Amino acid sequence: MVEVQPTRMELIKLKRRIQMAKRGHALLKMKRDGLIMEFRTILEDAKAVIEEMIKKYEVAREKLALAMAVDGAIAVKSIALACHAEPKFTMKRKNIMGVVVPVIKREKVRRSVYERDYGIIGTSARLDEAVSAYEELVDAILEVAELETTLKRLIEEIERTKRRVNALEYKVIPEMEEAAKFISFKLEEMDRENIIRLKKIKTKKAKEQQ
Amino acid sequence: MKKIAVIGDPDFNVGFRLVGIRDVYDVQSDEEVVKAVEDVMKREDVGIVVIKNEFLDKIPISLRREMDESVEPTFVIVGGEGSVEVLKEKIRRAIGVDLWK
Repeated sequence: MVEVQPTRMELIKLKRRIQMAKRGHALLKMKRDGLIMEFRTILEDAKAVIEEMIKKYEVAREKLALAMAVDGAIAVKSIALACHAEPKFTMKRKNIMGVVVPVIKREKVRRSVYERDYGIIGTSARLDEAVSAYEELVDAILEVAELETTLKRLIEEIERTKRRVNALEYKVIPEMEEAAKFISFKLEEMDRENIIRLKKIKTKKAKEQQ
Repeated sequence: MKKIAVIGDPDFNVGFRLVGIRDVYDVQSDEEVVKAVEDVMKREDVGIVVIKNEFLDKIPISLRREMDESVEPTFVIVGGEGSVEVLKEKIRRAIGVDLWK
């Protein structure tokens, strides 16, 4: 039970607050439904992309291991140190119903053999394959970065919104309504008490005058 | 134009070096992981951080939360199915059903 003063002013205030809470509740409910809709459209894409990335990672590791085993770890490492053309991409922020998510535009990750920073003659085809596999992996990672983060943010926001909706629906609004009911009962009671008191005084006065 | 950074052990990193990524953090011990993550979060030019799955357990919870919340850089967990499991669990908790299948 909420502690309230049983006054008329308090009742008016409470009624206003209940109305506001109900409006907020409706709005939050709509937000939650919108977020879930958004989430479901992204989920399918994200699932495919993440699974693909995991597969690509396995393939890339295998190929690299093979290249290292055949050409020697030191050779591969020294070539790795020679590479300095970084994969490029631009990042923006997008706002989905108050949730900030990254939008990534990939520019140039995959390169042909000639564009790489090492010579073709001194290296083997296995290394080329490993590098290609890793380029694909990085490409996939960039895609995953966008979708997975979006997904995570949406989930968090859905959870938060849901909690607020439920708190309003099952806790805040019922409590305030109960308080309002209590006040109106109390006011009625006081009214009745007053009437009885007046009647008593009236009969007392009538007796005195007799 | 943003860059990719990689946090992992030297074996993990070689492949990423081959693609031309320069911001590679070779880490071994737990402290190094934490230091690398903190360092990478401060940097302005890094847009995406690739981190190896098994290092994730070594990062304290508060930092993990910060990683989850930051947009620039965005963290991507690579290696193993660990990240998928976490995501599944989150979906189950938020929606109430496992939508992943």
